[in-house]
Order: sequence, then C-alpha cells, then structure tokens
Amino acid sequence: MLKYIIKRVLWVIPTLLGVLIILFSLTYLMPGDPASAMLGPRATPELVEELNNRLHLNENMPTRLGYYLLGVVKGDLGTSVWSGHSVSSLISSSLPHTALLAVSSLGVAAVIGVFLGAFGAIRQNSPISRFVTIVSLLGVAVPDFVAALLLVLLFCVKFPILPSIGAGTDGGILGIATHLILPATALGIGWVGYLSRLTRESMVDVLDSDYIRTAKAFALPQRSIAYVYALKNAIIPTITVIGLGVGKLLGGAVFVEIIFNRPGLGKMIVDAVYARDFPVVQGGILVATILFVLANLLADISYGFVNPQIQYD
Amino acid sequence: MNTTSSKRISGQMNRQMSLTPRWTETLIMAFQSVAKVKGGLIGAIFISVMLLSAICAQWISPYDPNAQNIIQRFTGPGTAHLLGTDYLGRDILSRIIYGCRIAVLVAFGAVSLSSIIGVFLGVMAGYNEGKKFDYFIIWLFDIVRSFPQIILALAIVAVMGPSLVNVVVALAFTAFPFYGRIARAQTLSVKEADYVKAAEAMGQKPLTIILRHITPNIMAPVIVCLGMDMATMIIWESGLSFLGLGVRPPTASWGIMLRNGYKYIQVSPWMILWPAVAIALSMIAFSLFSEGLRVALDPKERER
Amino acid sequence: MNKENPLLEVSNLTLDYRLGKKRMRALDRVSFQLEKGEILGVAGESGCGKSTLGLSIIKLLPKIAEIKRGEILFEGRDLLNTSENDMNRKIRGQKISMIFQNPQNALNPVFTIGKQMTDILRAQSKYKNKKMRSSRFFRDQAIGRLKSTGIADPSARLSNYPYEFSGGMKQRVMIGMALSSGTSLLLADEATTALDVTIEAQINRLISDLAAQYGTSVLYVSHNLGVLAELADRIMIMYAGRIFEMGTTTDVFDSPSHPYSAALLESLPSRQARGKRLLSIPGIVPPLDNLPQGCSFHPRCKFAEDICKREVPPLEQVTDGHFSACFLDNKRGRKRLKWI
Repeated sequence: MLKYIIKRVLWVIPTLLGVLIILFSLTYLMPGDPASAMLGPRATPELVEELNNRLHLNENMPTRLGYYLLGVVKGDLGTSVWSGHSVSSLISSSLPHTALLAVSSLGVAAVIGVFLGAFGAIRQNSPISRFVTIVSLLGVAVPDFVAALLLVLLFCVKFPILPSIGAGTDGGILGIATHLILPATALGIGWVGYLSRLTRESMVDVLDSDYIRTAKAFALPQRSIAYVYALKNAIIPTITVIGLGVGKLLGGAVFVEIIFNRPGLGKMIVDAVYARDFPVVQGGILVATILFVLANLLADISYGFVNPQIQYD
Repeated sequence: MNTTSSKRISGQMNRQMSLTPRWTETLIMAFQSVAKVKGGLIGAIFISVMLLSAICAQWISPYDPNAQNIIQRFTGPGTAHLLGTDYLGRDILSRIIYGCRIAVLVAFGAVSLSSIIGVFLGVMAGYNEGKKFDYFIIWLFDIVRSFPQIILALAIVAVMGPSLVNVVVALAFTAFPFYGRIARAQTLSVKEADYVKAAEAMGQKPLTIILRHITPNIMAPVIVCLGMDMATMIIWESGLSFLGLGVRPPTASWGIMLRNGYKYIQVSPWMILWPAVAIALSMIAFSLFSEGLRVALDPKERER
Repeated sequence: MNKENPLLEVSNLTLDYRLGKKRMRALDRVSFQLEKGEILGVAGESGCGKSTLGLSIIKLLPKIAEIKRGEILFEGRDLLNTSENDMNRKIRGQKISMIFQNPQNALNPVFTIGKQMTDILRAQSKYKNKKMRSSRFFRDQAIGRLKSTGIADPSARLSNYPYEFSGGMKQRVMIGMALSSGTSLLLADEATTALDVTIEAQINRLISDLAAQYGTSVLYVSHNLGVLAELADRIMIMYAGRIFEMGTTTDVFDSPSHPYSAALLESLPSRQARGKRLLSIPGIVPPLDNLPQGCSFHPRCKFAEDICKREVPPLEQVTDGHFSACFLDNKRGRKRLKWI
C-alpha cells in the first residue's frame, strides 16, 4: 500500500515540472513582446526593460524555471504587474471562496447523487428511477454556466428572491449561505445528474454479479447487501469520477464566479488574463493545477483503499 | 512457389489478418444499430439538422445575422422575428442559425484535431511500451491532463488572441491526451493479439502494422468518445466566447449571444434564453447519439 | 433411508424464462426425490435446465423466471409458497446452501474473507435468535470452518482479500460456509468445473467427506460424467428441461435405458476403443422456445420411431428405482442402444 502511494506521489513532481514548462511557454505564444503586452499603455522602454529583468523573460527556459522555483520555495509566486500585490496574497485571499463553492456544490451533489443512484438501482421501475434519468439528462444538457445564467434569470430577475452578486461575506453566515445557493446549485446540478446515473448503472451491474448472488444465497439481510456490500463496489467508478471532476469543477467555477461576481480563484485568473497580468495568470493556473493534481492523487489513493486489487496492477 | 502466387497468398493473408474490411462493416452495422436505439435516432436526426443549418445557413436564415435595426431592439418573439431581437435589433433566430455553424466548425475541428494527434501519439506510445518514447508521451499526456481543461484553453486563447482558429487549436491541445490515453491503453492489449504477432513474424514494418492492424481495432472506444467530446467542445467554445476569449464579435456564436444577453439580463430574457436552449438541445442530441453509439459498438450489448 | 419422507421432493416442476416475446421452457414437469444423506448427480449438456433446478430450490431465480406449475417439498415444507423472509430466516445458508461454478467471482473483491464469513455467520446467528455474540466468537467460528476444509493457517487467512486466494482455496472457503452441521441440503452447481483437474479431485473429495460427516444430502450438478460416476449415489440425466433417465449410478452407467444417456456415455473417450472415431451426437440441442413436438430428442435420435415424433414419452420405471423417458422397449440393455 505504501509503495503504491509513494509511487503515485513521486510521479507528481515531473508532472508539475512539465506544467511549469508549458506555462512558461505561453509567453512565447504572445504575438509581439510579452513585457510590453503586459504593461499595456503604460509601457515605456525603461519599464519594459525592468520587467524583462524581473521576470527573466530574455533568459532560456531552464534559467527561468530555476528562478521561479527558487521563488516558490520561499513562498513567492511573483508580483502582479497590474496591482503590485504579491501573487501569493492574491491567491490566498481568493482561494477560500472557490474552495467553499467547490466543496458545497460537489459535496451536496455527491451525497444526493450517490443515494439517488443507489435507490434508483435497487427499485428500478420506481418514479425515483425515472426522476434520476430526467435529472441526469438535464444535467448533461445544461452546462454549468448556462445553468447559472438561467438561474439568475429566474431567481434574480424574474422573481428576485436570491442575491446574484458577490459572496455575501458582510452578511455573516446567513449572507454567505444565501449567496452560495444559486452558484452551488448551478455547479451542482450537472453533478447530481451525472453521479446519480453513474451510481445507478454501476449498482445495477454490481447487483447482478456473482458475489451478490452468493450473499443472497447465504441470506445476508437485504439492506446490508444493498447499502454495504453492493454500494462499496458500485462506488468505485464514482470515486474516480469525483477526482477528475474537481478539474471540471474548477473550470465551471470560473464561469460561476464571473457571473455571480464572486471573488474566487477563477475570477482572479480571468481578470488577470484580461489585464495581461502574466505573473498572476501563471501563479493562479499553477495553484489550480496543483489542486487538481492533488485531488486526483487523493482519489487514486482512496481508490486503492476501496479496491485493494488495484495496487498490484 | 513462384512470385505471383506467393504475392496472392500473402495478399490474402494480409486481408484476413488486418481486419480492415471487417472494421468498415462494423462501422456500417454500428450506424444501423444506433438508429435502432430510440435515443440514438433522435440524436442523429437532431445532429443532422444542426449540420444542415450550419452548411445552409445563408439560405435558411431569415435575416442577415449582423443586420442591425435599432428601432426593433429587445423585441420578444413575434411574427417578424420568430425569436425576437437583441440589443442591436439583430434577429435572434438568424444569429442562432449562424451560431450553429460556429458550433459545428469548432466541434468538428477541435475533435478531429485532438483525436488524430491523440490517437497517433497514443498508439505509437503503446506500441513502444516501456521504452523512453513511451515514458515521454505518458509524461506529456499527464502534464496536459493536469490542467483544468478550460483554464488552459482560455490562457492559450488569451495569449494567442481570440479567433476561431485559435479557439480550435487551444481546445484541441487541451483534449488530445484523453484520446491518447484511450488509444494507448487499447494498443497495449491489441498488440498482444495473434494477428499482430503473425504480422510481426512475417516481417511487416512497424508502421504498417500500426496503421493497418492496430489502429482500426482500437477505434471503438475512441469513436464513442468523439460523440460526447463534440458536445463538450461546443460548450467550451460558448464558454470562451462568453468570456470574450473566443470567437470575435460581431460573429454570431452562442457564447457571444450569452455574453450580450448577460449584459442586458434585466432588459430582455430572450437574448439569454434562446442560445441556452440551443446549447441544451445540442447537448442532449450529442448525448443521446453517443449513448446510442456506445450501445451499438459494445459487443456485449448488441446481443440484447 | 426413509422412502416415505424424502428430504426433498420435487413434483411436476415447470418453469419458463420470459425474454421479451420469447418464452423458453427451462424445466418441464421435472419430478424426483432426494433422500437424506444421498448424493444425487444431475447431468446434461449446457442449457438443459440443471442450474435452473438448483436456483429454483433455493429460490434465487432471475426476475424473468416464471414458475408455471409444480411443487417443491423440503422436509415437508412447501418451498414455493414460503415467503422470502422465511427463506432467509430459516432456509438459505442454514438448511439449504448453494455453491456456484466460478469461485473467482463468488466472493466480493473489496472485503476481506474474514468480514464476509463473519457477516454471514452473524446473520445466521441472528436468524436463529441466538443471544448477542462478540466478534471474537464469529471470528473463531469462521476459523473453524476454514480449518474443516483443509485451509492452512486459517486465522491469518481471515484478513486476506479474495484476490490473494487461488481458485481452489476460494472454493474451499465457499464449501466451509456452505457445509456445516446444520446443513441438510447442499446444491452444488458445477462446483469444480472451473478448477484444475487435480484441484477438482481434492475439492470433490472434500465435498463428499464433509457431506458424509454432517449427513448432508447433495444435489450435484455437472456436465462431467466422470466426476458424477465417482461421487453420486444416484444420477439424473436431463435434456432441454426434461428428465430423460434417473437411477442409481451403477444402473444408469452400466445399463443406460435412454438413447441419449447411451450416447453420452458412448461419447466419453475412455469408453471407445483406441484409434476409433469419437462419437458426437449429430445435430444440436433444440432452442428452448421452439422445442420439437413429442420427444425433444427425436430429431437427433438414431432410434426414433413415429410415436416419438407425436407424443412426449413419460418417465417410467424400467427396473426397481431405474426410470427412463423413452418409448423404446424399456428392458433393452446396453448392447442394443449402441450408437456406433
């Protein structure tokens, strides 16, 4: 078990290195001179020169990587060209909002989705099962940002009952909660649909398996068979999906944060992109990627716990 | 044995072993079975409608999508404009139809590009399993896969400048590792098959083996992915355009329509509603179609 | 042996599988008895209904199965009319156990052997309304079961996962769970078909030893006549859902009374002279939704006569305890039923 974890963790390092290389390569894609693009209308030859030196834009890739990594070790991810704040401070102030959004939408969606799916598999011709199919179709049909727009249309414009701007931090817990409802729902609906359908299909397969037949032949109690034995097997693909899903969630979060004007990581990145604030873009994407990789790692490791066979592959 | 008969025999063996003819038969059978699956047929029909709109946009669209008519802005659905008009008085229906063209272009373009590159790299990697090339490709795949897709895409487009081509390239770049991984995994099992071993034993060149024997036989899961991937690409394009990092206005793309609609959300619900419906319908269509494709191509399910 | 009160009495059991519009008659008027302590072998080709028979007795049939007619009496109890609840509380795993063909898949891969065994033992204890026991108790009980099947170092084995066991060991675990002092009837469905030949012999010996020790009757389903010849006291030969011949192993093997049985026996390689062609019965088993009229074997039967094509031959006594469903003169011996 330990060997498996160590192997997986070690592979992360060259991967992240590659991520940085790609991020740095972005500056080569910029038409024209990166530094002037970043400075925009304020660009003077002195400022351009100064920026070039600060960001080592004229050096080769290994040098740039070296300087950057040295900075990372010290906790310094660079400085925003636009605002002058340190990138790490910008990230640390925006990350909690995104985390809150992600956890609330995915967490609630996962719990609801898995139980809906399990129920739908056990009682296959019930209204619940049909509900699962409808919700999953809806979830697929309406991507998160479209759902967000429609929700705003419905609950903020047509029937103005929920707030649409900001994170509500000045309203205390209640404020935060009300400001979370619509964004979390927008992100979560797709998940509930997908997870419930995935769990249901997986459960149906599992319920048909030989080992469940054995459990029935030995008269294990029905509920135990369904919710302990079968579910643990059925949940395996779901866990992998949730790990991958964090990436999709981060993507969706970008839009939801922009639409609802929430000060999260996604909005930070996009605003930096508009402002051509490359250090912020780079730092933001790096952090988002690290989070994604960590989530996948955790999913893989917990998959290893749940399905002990996988360690030997 | 003289040369002509030995050529004939080896030609026969090649045909038997390569399974390429069987592969085309499978594809045709697959489309027929997709049609049999209820959802698949609906999906296929709708996708054809989309394709048709995309190709024949000039002829079916009632107005020029960029024709402004300030007097008639923000109207709701009516006889003159079936779906209403936007903030510049442009006909929404026409813009939806032209937006279909953008959606189809991006979907097919990005998916083709990413699948060709991905499958090629994946098969090469799988065939050279264990060698440095394989490790390098896996590393490449893992790196690109580590990025949350949309974030990488928007960074690329932002840096290269928004345009249709750049959107396609950026999306293809974020997507190719998924095809690569599938292709590689499939190659790993297919290359152990008897017909591949036989071809190797007969001294066929690796490139021939890859093209003729391995690639056709790994395509099934790839094809299933293609369907859903196109839907995803349509969404990503809309998303990027919504952020202003996609197609350039005044081109009508559903994403741009959503962006404009969002600005005027207090004034007119129609600007947001119709592109949302268009996106939702195309998603459902592709989803049903690829579900039908999956069922049709899965040998286990075909027996049902 | 108590002939008036057999352990298991199946009468006229008729069962269909519904697949969409098709109806496959998987069992047709199957009737037989099983005495206490007896091993009854059920032989036949794939699809003849032998697995369905076992599943019907323990009532684990798939949803598409429909019992049209018949009765299953176990220890005097009408099983077909016993509720699911009672089946679980009193019968399954306790009085009647079933082990299946493929031990590879019979155990849940994500739980340890120990957990699966103790869960079953705990459930059974609850059904019997025994007082609450500690986990230690069930652990020891599981260890005891493993020991009885010859598994070495049983207490260490409890914390293993199924993938760490070989096929033969997994089947031993299943046998350990299925056979205990309270088991009256063991349904073994191709229990050793998926195992290597040497392991097969060990497992079969284990089954017969434990069955003898606990006085358990066994309904042993297999397509392998060699295994049945060694293990079974009596044999039942099935074809397309019907019983064609039934009797003691000696009677059926030495003097088969049905052309199909004779052909099966003649097609075993060991019974042919070396160098001669092997017999294969011409034709194929008919589809269960489209059985031929009359005797379902007549299209392939070398000895078929007109009446065979019109009427279904009833299962009739040939000699004491030996039954055959064939219109041919039932006193025929083996010489007259030669196929080659």
